[in-house]
Amino acid sequence: MSWTRENVRSEVREILKPHAQSGVELTEASHLVADLGIDSLGVMEVVADLEDKFKLRIPDEALREVDTVADVARAIEIRLKNEGRLAE
Amino acid sequence: MTRTFSPRTVVQALEESARSTTTGFRFIDEESTSEPFFSHAGIERASARMGGALQALGLKKGDRVALILPDNADFVFAFLGALRGGIIPVPIYPPTGLGKLSGYLENTLHIVAKSGARVLVTSNEIRRILGTVQQKAPDLEKVADIADLKTMREELKPVKVGLDDVCFLQFTSGSTSKPKGVTLTHQNLAANVHAIMDLGLGVRDSIDSGVSWLPLYHDMGLIGFVMSPLYHVNSVTFLPPLLFLKRPARWLETLSRQKGTVSFGPNFAYALCVKRIKDSDIEGLDLSSWRVAGCGAEPIRAENLRAFGEKFAKIGFDPKAFISCYGMAESTLAISFSTLGRGVVTDIVKGESLWGSGQAEETSEGSEGAAPIVNCGPAFEGHDAKAFAADDTESSSPLPERVAGELRIRGPSVMAGYWGESELTREAFAGGWLKTGDIGYIAGGDVHICGRSKEVIIVNGRNYYPQDLEWEAGSVEGVRKGNVIAFGTMKPNYDRERVIIALETAVADGPKREALKGEVRRAVQQGIGLTVDDVVPVDVGVLPKTSSGKLQRAKTRELYELGELLDRSSARKVDTVDAVKEVVKSQLGYFRHAILGGVTGRKE
Repeated sequence: MSWTRENVRSEVREILKPHAQSGVELTEASHLVADLGIDSLGVMEVVADLEDKFKLRIPDEALREVDTVADVARAIEIRLKNEGRLAE
Repeated sequence: MTRTFSPRTVVQALEESARSTTTGFRFIDEESTSEPFFSHAGIERASARMGGALQALGLKKGDRVALILPDNADFVFAFLGALRGGIIPVPIYPPTGLGKLSGYLENTLHIVAKSGARVLVTSNEIRRILGTVQQKAPDLEKVADIADLKTMREELKPVKVGLDDVCFLQFTSGSTSKPKGVTLTHQNLAANVHAIMDLGLGVRDSIDSGVSWLPLYHDMGLIGFVMSPLYHVNSVTFLPPLLFLKRPARWLETLSRQKGTVSFGPNFAYALCVKRIKDSDIEGLDLSSWRVAGCGAEPIRAENLRAFGEKFAKIGFDPKAFISCYGMAESTLAISFSTLGRGVVTDIVKGESLWGSGQAEETSEGSEGAAPIVNCGPAFEGHDAKAFAADDTESSSPLPERVAGELRIRGPSVMAGYWGESELTREAFAGGWLKTGDIGYIAGGDVHICGRSKEVIIVNGRNYYPQDLEWEAGSVEGVRKGNVIAFGTMKPNYDRERVIIALETAVADGPKREALKGEVRRAVQQGIGLTVDDVVPVDVGVLPKTSSGKLQRAKTRELYELGELLDRSSARKVDTVDAVKEVVKSQLGYFRHAILGGVTGRKE
């Protein structure tokens, strides 16, 4: 299955939504910890959900480059692109 | 099943276990489907090679080597290799989680400098993150890449290692971000391993097998599942900690597949399994071989373990396998275990009298104000655990049974002291007893923990000091410095401690206050690596203070739990009465927090 950037972004938001504190607006710029209040266990759960949804593996080191919702989408896009599963 | 105990060094135990080629360590790695297995004979060879490599770097007996190795196999062999050369390993946790942590670097640098490590062994990736650590730690001569060490083929030069030699340094988090190095000798290790394996678990040599996802830079994983099994020639399967956090079902799946008999986890791990594991994940699994399910390293909540027992009974889990464990790094690892085969046992006491007067009066389950306190069993043979009044500086008269006080311990598992910290070491002891910092009582000879005298917040098995959080939060613009209170709360419906920061601010309500909450979260995350669950900004003068003006953590927590913190506008008036009550409750005030789970008639 091939993904578009648009699909990736909306899917990432869908996955993050249940983990965010209620009443918080989720935007591309939202910081996972500071704005959405996701804790370290929540982060690992999100990673599992992302891996299942996009059928890929996110190495632990990749988490260090992630701060915001947009960073999550970017990390996914890079990996999909490497595997030829991202439609440009 | 007691056997005569003749202490051996970890090195002796390792070398003697090497006669076995059928038992050993298996390492599961998420990246690959193969699961490398090292028999005890293989462990001996791999650790000898690492020991030889470390010696080739110039390390000699008594030198310290810092290890930051996220890969379990790398860590185990580097650690054991150091021991075989008489080199003192200093395990440091690797950076994990989101973003770059300035606090992580600071902590790591402190440990490296304080331990006087001459060499730091790490991965190439972490070496880049550490940057200029070498320039800041005066004794550090080299940062070595584990990949290079693995290619070296140097013979291990025999070194005489005795029971009184230092085995390793276990750095524990302390207040104001200064970890202290618990110094453990081989004698300490031998004593504690004997207590854990022979007395606590009744381990069957070469038959019992462990499964562990616990981090190896932490005492429960390192001593419980790396060193202890060497003494008893047990097999262990290791999972990466982050893999467990990501997919908790892998823990149970591994136990089922390997027919594991012994596995441990902090309270949160059991709660996480209940919350995250779906029935479809455990289809076909069989946990009937799991005879000891240990729980420790953070406050134990009986209802979490009960829920785990209920959920996984259908795949053969026996709730009687639970044992409640009490321990701390200063006592090598373990102080007491509850009795094998009884499951979680709680002592039902009257909450009001416990936190009011420190008396643990028995009452019936379900009665008004009943609080269940988990029974952690008797101190191991050869060791003592007793409660003392806080002002009993010489530990001259232990408190009677069922009277709560500061728990103090003594015995051969207790550390000699903190590395290079004679002052802190002196402060840690009272008349030859180690002050645990925990509040508890003894009943029927068994240890019962009710809370902590230091207001440590424990999240996922790690300790955080409120002062550190308050300092980070206070550095944010708009927050009134010195008017910040951080605390942990564990309401019954939560499976772990929630971290709350209440602060005073002149910033008016609205979007600006919302933004301030984000800033505070960010500051704490970056400085300490902890996610704050809730930030509560209040008007100036709202946070409770005692007559001396000292901020009241326990009081703030209580208000927060009652949902009254945000409603307070005129704090001072309320506080005149409160201050009197607080004095009465004073030290035991936080009991309310510790046993809130059992208190009926309270608002959620």
